Formats: sequence, C-alpha cells, structure tokens
Amino acid sequence: MKMKWISRTLGVSLVVLAAAPLGAEEPEMRDVATHDQLTEKLRAAAKENPTVKLRPSEGPDPTKVNRPESIVKSSDFLSFAGRATLVPKRAILHVPANMADRVKFVSGNQLMPFGDFFAMNRGWVTTFEVTRAQAEGNQPLPEDVIKRFQKSSNLVVAVFKGGPISVLPLKTPPDATATAGAKTPATPAPKKP
Amino acid sequence: MNVSPFILGISLAVLATVGAQTTNYTNFIRQKQLPSGVQWDMPVNSMGEDQSPMAINPGGAQFELWTVNGITSADYLLDSRYVGAYVPVATVAITSEDPYDVIPRTRADRPFNVTVMVDGLQLGNPEAPEAATKVQFLRHVQSYGTGGTGFGIDRTAATLKSQTYIETNGTEILNYSINSVPGADRTKVRGEERFSVFSLEDYQAPESQLASQFIQIWPIADGSLSGITSGELIRFKLPTVTLTLNDLYPDSHTYAQVYKGGPQLGKTGKIIPGSSLVVNDTVPQSRVLTLVDYDDAFDEDGQWTMELVTKTPFGLERLSYVSFNLDRTIEFNGSITSQE
Repeated sequence: MKMKWISRTLGVSLVVLAAAPLGAEEPEMRDVATHDQLTEKLRAAAKENPTVKLRPSEGPDPTKVNRPESIVKSSDFLSFAGRATLVPKRAILHVPANMADRVKFVSGNQLMPFGDFFAMNRGWVTTFEVTRAQAEGNQPLPEDVIKRFQKSSNLVVAVFKGGPISVLPLKTPPDATATAGAKTPATPAPKKP
Repeated sequence: MNVSPFILGISLAVLATVGAQTTNYTNFIRQKQLPSGVQWDMPVNSMGEDQSPMAINPGGAQFELWTVNGITSADYLLDSRYVGAYVPVATVAITSEDPYDVIPRTRADRPFNVTVMVDGLQLGNPEAPEAATKVQFLRHVQSYGTGGTGFGIDRTAATLKSQTYIETNGTEILNYSINSVPGADRTKVRGEERFSVFSLEDYQAPESQLASQFIQIWPIADGSLSGITSGELIRFKLPTVTLTLNDLYPDSHTYAQVYKGGPQLGKTGKIIPGSSLVVNDTVPQSRVLTLVDYDDAFDEDGQWTMELVTKTPFGLERLSYVSFNLDRTIEFNGSITSQE
C-alpha cells in the first residue's frame, strides 16, 4: 500500500492538456466590449455552466469552516536588536529569566525565518534537535538534557532538521496509572516569561 | 507508529501570492501533523522549491503558507495543502490568453480554462470511507472593489458560486467563456475567481484543501481624447490634446494614431510622438498624457482621424476616436498695383 501510494503520488504531475482554444478568430482590431455585450455573454454563460454535469454538493462552505488557526496566535515571537522571528508555541524549551522580555513581538523589527534569526543570535539562542517521537510526546527528552536546559543561560528552541518544532506534553503511558509515583522523565512544559 | 516514509515535495511559489509583495511581509511555511497537532516550520528561502524532510503521518499533514506583517503582526494565509497517504490528491491549473505565468490573469471580457486533476479516489471499493471516494470542487468569486488590487483582501469573504462533487479520477478541463466576479458595470469588474478542491471530513481530519488556484480578472481599459471636438475645423497649429487613460491592462501598449480620412476600424496610422505608453505591471494603470507640438504627424490638409488604441494579449482595440478637418493652407487674396 505504501509503495503504491508513493508511486502514485510521485508519479503525479500536472498535465496541462490541450485546452479549448481561448477566443475565436477575432478581427485585427475591434472596439472594446460594452457593458451590454458582456451582460448578454454572462447570461449565455450561465446556461452553459461547465460544472453542470457534476453532482452538486451540500453543506457549509469548507473554506469558511475549520479555518487554520492564525500563525501569529499559534506562535511565540523572539525579538532582539531590531530583528525578530516566530516559532510554533511549545518550541521554546527554556527561557532564562533575564531574557523573558525577548519573547514578544516588537513592531518594526525585521521579521525573518528562524534560521536567519538564529544565525545572527547564536550568542543567546541555542537549538536542541528533537526526534519526531519526542515532538509528538511519545518519548521523553533525556533527563540530563532537561537539567542542562534549566541551568543554561541561553534560550533553548526545539528544532527538527533545523526548523523550529512544537514539543507536545509527554503522553502518559497506559501503565503509568498502575505505577503511580514512579519517576518518569518528563518533557518540560514550555517556560513562559 | 506506522509512519509513511513519504517525503513531500512542496513548491514555494511565494511570488505567486499577492500578499507577499511588499518588504514588510515575511513568509513562513508551517507543517501541521494530523492528528497529533505537532507544528513545524520549514526552513525555506523566499523563493524556490524544496522537500519537507518531515515524514507525514498516516493521518496526513497540513501545509500552510503564511505571510506576516512585521509592523502590525497581521497574518494572512496565502495558501494551504492537505496531503496524506490515504488522502486523494488534486491539482488545479488555470490558463488564459495572457501568457503571464506568475499569477493567472485575464480581462473582464475574456474566457479562461480551468484544468482540475484528481487522483487517488478509491472507486469501486464498497468499504472505502466516503472521504476516499469523492472530493468537493468549489468556485468562489470575489471583487477587489473600485480601484482595488487584491492586496490584503480577506478571502474568507469570497462568495461561493458553485459547490460540486468530483467522483472520478482523472483530468477535466472546464471552459469559462466569461468571469462572474460581482460588479454592476461588467466592463469594470476587477477581482478574482478561485477554484479549489477540498477533501471530505473523516475521522482523522476535517475538510481540508487539497488544491487551489485563482485567476485575477482586470477591467477593460477606457480612454478619451479631449482638446479636439468631432468635426472641428483646425487652422494653423494643432491644439493641445489630453489623453485620459483608465485601467490600462497590466501588459499593454497604448498609443494615439492619426490617419487621413474618416474613422475606419482597423486602419493603421502614424503614432503621435509622446502618446505611446507601455505598461508592464501586475495591476492595471491609469495615466493622463498631454500631446503638444505634434503637427509633423499631419502631412496634408483634409479630414483626419485621431484614434486611441491599446494592444494587449487579447488583441488590438480602439478605445476612442475623433475626426476633424485640417486646413493649414494660407490663401492670400489681394492685388498688386503699380504706379507709374
């Protein structure tokens, strides 16, 4: 199934077939169309709706329901020295107390992708490469790493292949309730200023 | 977890988005894994093509192209795609007579074609969920308003013109002879038509956009000549003429030409110096030109016609004309006498 999907998907390319000729033979020069001519053309076009052979669907407009959440609302800004970037919420793993005021939007700062911002701010921003399982909350971050963050004087951002990524709270294993009280390394909740 | 090794190639046609054309805006591509909700920002260049190294879960992933204003922090969703191992795939392409390839565009009176391709529908499988057997095809229309260019418009305010199911795999070409962008004066509508393919809601994901493309519709140009009236007799010097040009198509060459005789559509004349205006832009332009000292264009007396002509990807069209009579011959009536 996987291979079938892969070949099917990768094999798909946009095939622009020979479309119907756009515009019939026209005179070398003509007067511009008038409102009345276009109104009549529109009326005729309504009778020749090209989707008439498709079955009408019902329900609310899908473009108006389930709108993606605003990227600004689902992100944290980092701003410093006239530059700024944004990262998904829960991507910031550690914020030193003296850098709390850098986790905000500052109007007029040059907004840039995280990679560019990081390249200019390595002095106080550190990245930590997480795995998919860690990002999904299926695997905890190593305890020693968490301790290192807590002592770090740098702000720490979780990344995956160089891009900032949200790290979801650690999902409680099914047998955790049975072993309540057992110490499980936890993914640190994103520290908010 | 069974994770598909599928790697998505995502095209970043960032310049193909109206909202990303000013320097205060920065673009971001966010990948949202479903159903986990993990969010990841792809490291991207401002333009180009790249692959997402983040493998997609069986539940699929939503790719969103956003632009964010660095002054106001306002954000705009420029485009989005839902992809997944068990989700149908679709593409939408729009072509018109205008070969401009950054954003499909045409004029208020011209036709266009929409090519929609759907693949991956599980046909003939009675156990397939409904979301795997059909997709929705939507047509939205939206006016930019008087003088609007589409910059920063709220696309959620577009009007849903039609909503249908596509229930077969394959490519379909839909021919639209004219646009349906709202507007009282059909020659002056300006706006866009958007064609989208959406998946149906299932247990893993809501209705999500699989493909979308829009075409911009620009108004028909109009123009007027003032300074000479029809039938006027002009003696000696040609008067100053003002050309008022409105809504010149983004790819157009407009000029005033003159030829001897009455108005005759299709006749080629002499272009008046200073009247030629070439527009190579992304939105229509309006201009006022003043013509002075153009007498050299007229080489003899008699009836002449001055025409305002515009050349676009749609052909050569006459916007306005005026005919007048020219008489620059000085006749001297007198007598000579000699005194002896």
